[in-house]
Amino acid sequence: MTDTPAFEPIVKIENLHKHFGALKVLNGIDEHISAGEVVVLIGPSGSGKSTFLRCLNLMEEPTYGKIYFDGNEITNRESWKKGGLDRVRQNMGMVFQHFNLFPHMSVMENITLAPMKVHSLSKKSAEEQAFDLLDQVGLTDKAHAHPAQLSGGQKQRIAIVRALAMEPKLLLFDEPTSALDPEMVGEVLQVMNNLAKRGMTMAVVTHEMRFAREVASRVLFMDEGIIVEEGSAQKLFSAPENPRTREFLAKVL
Amino acid sequence: MDFSFLSKYWPYYVIGAKNTILLAFFAVIIGVAIGMLIAVCRIGKDKPLRFVSAAYVEFIRGTPLLVQLFIIYYGLQAIGIRFPDIPLASRVLGINFADFMAGVITMGINSGAYVGEIFRAGIQSIDKGQTEAARSLGLSWPKTLRYVILPQAIRNVLPALGNEFVVIIKESSIVSIIGIADLMYKANTVRGNTFKPFEPLLVAALVYFMLTFPLSKFLARVEKRMRTHD
Repeated sequence: MTDTPAFEPIVKIENLHKHFGALKVLNGIDEHISAGEVVVLIGPSGSGKSTFLRCLNLMEEPTYGKIYFDGNEITNRESWKKGGLDRVRQNMGMVFQHFNLFPHMSVMENITLAPMKVHSLSKKSAEEQAFDLLDQVGLTDKAHAHPAQLSGGQKQRIAIVRALAMEPKLLLFDEPTSALDPEMVGEVLQVMNNLAKRGMTMAVVTHEMRFAREVASRVLFMDEGIIVEEGSAQKLFSAPENPRTREFLAKVL
Repeated sequence: MDFSFLSKYWPYYVIGAKNTILLAFFAVIIGVAIGMLIAVCRIGKDKPLRFVSAAYVEFIRGTPLLVQLFIIYYGLQAIGIRFPDIPLASRVLGINFADFMAGVITMGINSGAYVGEIFRAGIQSIDKGQTEAARSLGLSWPKTLRYVILPQAIRNVLPALGNEFVVIIKESSIVSIIGIADLMYKANTVRGNTFKPFEPLLVAALVYFMLTFPLSKFLARVEKRMRTHD
């Protein structure tokens, strides 16, 4: 680890392994994310980026290794009982490649569902909060639309708002622009850029090297289930040390 | 063919149809309640519950409805379980309430297995991303099921569920064997009273069809309306 975190890390990962049967996807990851950081994960497909991200909010159960979030070990299975697992996720939002909006609900209902059902927020305050957030992504006019009526870029912006409505301490992005038509990528990256500027802590799996270059505080290059190289976007893109990093960047840049 | 008996015996068919509808109505309620429970158990993480619910479905689907009816009707009496006789209910039905309950419960238990499979398929047809999105927001599994999965699943299973309602109306004719005065039982009474073996059955078939056909048409319309609201 070259960088010393400025603050106590919000996430600390120790020797994380994930196997799917005989397939070893993650092979020992030690990492940390500090509050306010934007960490971008890059790497070839099958390198384990998405699995790594999905282990953080325990969407995938780590095979072994430890993850600490906000000072607590969250990989301890005992702690998952009595809603412990849900409480972890209430503080760690996730944005998916395929948006996964709830198609039977309006945009407003998508956003207010979790605040109302988890935090028992009143409908009124949940909707006020939702309007504030919709305003930030320029979609207040879509509050009463249904997901089917939205473009891909709009859906993803709504999905981001839905995650933000829980006021997470960390936001995970799993290839948020990979399912979008090229002309819609910009509007989603813009929203993420704004979030980063406002100090949101984010971990982003993406193929958007420009985003990594412009927004990332740190870029991690993953291959074959380990973090091969990491550093500032500037350093990683201009002077990669590892031959695998160099090979990958030569293909994508 | 001679249908002149109808001028005297038509009230038999009305009472029979009423009792068939009552029987099917309560059987559907029990069936949906059991089915929902079975489906949730079958897709859940709890292994004993998964085993018990799967065994329930397999056993009910693998044994004849008539045998199930006799087990409930005679078997429970034999081991001392008797449904309470409520005189008022018996009078409204024109039959013994305890007998009626045996019929309703048998039909409900039977239908529960089929409805359970319908719901299970419906729940499993919902994209995994829906569950992941809901859980990633910190919603518990029961809340995910209630607010995200089931509303979508029910929409998907409506045609199959409607078909199951129609099946219950038809299959309920079997309770005539234990003396519940449903449509089939009443038709048999008419056959005996009029010494006509055939014509009263044709009328019964027609009345069954008059119950099931509008129901399937109605359900098709509900389904279409739900589609267009997507």
